[in-house]
Amino acid sequence: MYEFVEYVVRGALLGVTYGLLAFPVSLVFITTGSVDVALGAYAVLAVAIMYTVGGPLGLFLAIGAAVVAAGIVGIVSMRLNRPGAVDHIIPVLGTFGLATFLESAILTYFGTAPMIRQPFETFWSVFGIRISPQFGINVAVCLAILAALYLIINRTPFGRSMRASAVNPVGAALTGIPVRQIWFATYLLGGLMAGIAGVLILFTTGADYSTAFTLTIWGFGSAIIFGLRSPLRGFLGGLIIGIAQALCSGYLPSSLSTTVPLIFIFVVLALGKNNQIAATGGRV
Amino acid sequence: MQHGLFERLRPALIVAAIIAALSPVIAGSPFWLDNSVIVAIFALMSLSAGMAYGQAGILTMATAAFASVGAFATAIITVHYELSPWLGLVAAILLPAILAYPTARAIVRLSPMPLSIGTILLSLVLEHFVREGGSFTGGYIGLSGIPSLPGFDTQFSMHLLGWALVVLALVFYVNLTNSAIGRAVRTAKHDPLRATADGVNVANLLASYFSVTAAVAGVAGWLYAHYMSYVGPDSLTMHVSLRIMLMAVIGGAATYLGPVLGAAFLTLLTLYLPAAETQGMIFGAVLIFVLLVTPNGILGTNWLTFLKPRRAARRERQPRSAT
Repeated sequence: MYEFVEYVVRGALLGVTYGLLAFPVSLVFITTGSVDVALGAYAVLAVAIMYTVGGPLGLFLAIGAAVVAAGIVGIVSMRLNRPGAVDHIIPVLGTFGLATFLESAILTYFGTAPMIRQPFETFWSVFGIRISPQFGINVAVCLAILAALYLIINRTPFGRSMRASAVNPVGAALTGIPVRQIWFATYLLGGLMAGIAGVLILFTTGADYSTAFTLTIWGFGSAIIFGLRSPLRGFLGGLIIGIAQALCSGYLPSSLSTTVPLIFIFVVLALGKNNQIAATGGRV
Repeated sequence: MQHGLFERLRPALIVAAIIAALSPVIAGSPFWLDNSVIVAIFALMSLSAGMAYGQAGILTMATAAFASVGAFATAIITVHYELSPWLGLVAAILLPAILAYPTARAIVRLSPMPLSIGTILLSLVLEHFVREGGSFTGGYIGLSGIPSLPGFDTQFSMHLLGWALVVLALVFYVNLTNSAIGRAVRTAKHDPLRATADGVNVANLLASYFSVTAAVAGVAGWLYAHYMSYVGPDSLTMHVSLRIMLMAVIGGAATYLGPVLGAAFLTLLTLYLPAAETQGMIFGAVLIFVLLVTPNGILGTNWLTFLKPRRAARRERQPRSAT
């Protein structure tokens, strides 16, 4: 039982970063109807810059680079997408293009070596479970960001405009809401969160150039597990996936530990109604 | 809309004519023959991705995984059991199709984005099973010593076989698209509710169609295995699927010849790139550029409209159906 609790705690701590990536996935989806698959690449870009530069300047540059990259994706996506458009797949392909570009750029300029920093040498002991203080920082940062975003989305004029743009972009534009600017701001917000997630990942599990796609998969997996339309449920999905990964690593042979969480997401997708199109009985 | 015989054969005839014209020129060059076979293999995979995305709206990231299933099926049959590669071809067609149907049936009701993620998960799981397959799949080492095809043991004959398969796949694709099934698939893509009202079992139809596209990818895998004489866990990965989708989109996923053009363009482009690490930057940049200029791909765009005044051109530059 103790072992089980330890795996759950470690999984939840790991899932926090997935949740941080899942949040912008849902946010971009409900606002623009599209998704940004370059989020994992922004995070690894932030990892690479923070690892290379370090310190407060590194932190600023890492998150700044992620936001700038997200801004580029936002500009490209808005050229390919427009309020009221039916086919949102083409902008997704555009984000695939930038993700491929960034992954290759990270490989070219930062190499293949893993990038990780261990800032703490001492560990906390919580009910006998050894936990790095970094995990505490990760949880605190994630909860602070989620609380701030919850307030922004639900309690500010910007949040109301964002929700209006998501529900009815054409109607929102007719009432004077600058829908395209709202969309662009959503992409930037996604880049900001991915950049922060990247910095936390550097000090937790580390990353290399090829991690970008894996992070995107786990971020998306987290976001879709309870339906793409709820950022907060996306965060919860991140926790669930983190726990599933930790339990699989703990109890299953190594040959199955990476596959079972993927099958788990697949089964949830196949059985749940949250991501099915309305015409076939779903909710989207 | 019904098309005449010539109209239906036109894409295949165009490819056949180009290959007939090029073959004597490259016949003496092992370098170009090798690249021609590689382009043909990728063209088959790209056609599979184009069928899935362009016709059924399924942004599949599992094309290379199904090709891998085809490649391993023939590799196991010919290396472990020493049976005929032609039996391997049957397995390479049937196995991906059989595997694709139930998995697709489970997820085709999803909206496009989660559906694409579903195909990614499927691809990663298949990759993992190949890697953990022990001596049966060769595990992390893969299977080598796959025999060449009887009667096709020269590069030139493989070049002809590869492009013959592309031509056959095109004939099949065009006829399928112009059949009642093809029309139902397009209706299901654009308006599933309408398709359901018309009496179409949308989930079954899309899963069956996806299964057919997996079979086409399996043929590509079969050709790959017998040409390379080796297939391993890193041969046909998710990243290859992504590249194949880029090929289809750049060429024009909803057109018949677009995926073939995209495969030729991106494969030949890699010959002139400075280093493997930078290829992603070029591919990414090319994709973004093509999407910005022609969102429907090179062959999916009516280029004549670019010569007209801007407003009239914008009105006319609508997505074109398969041509």
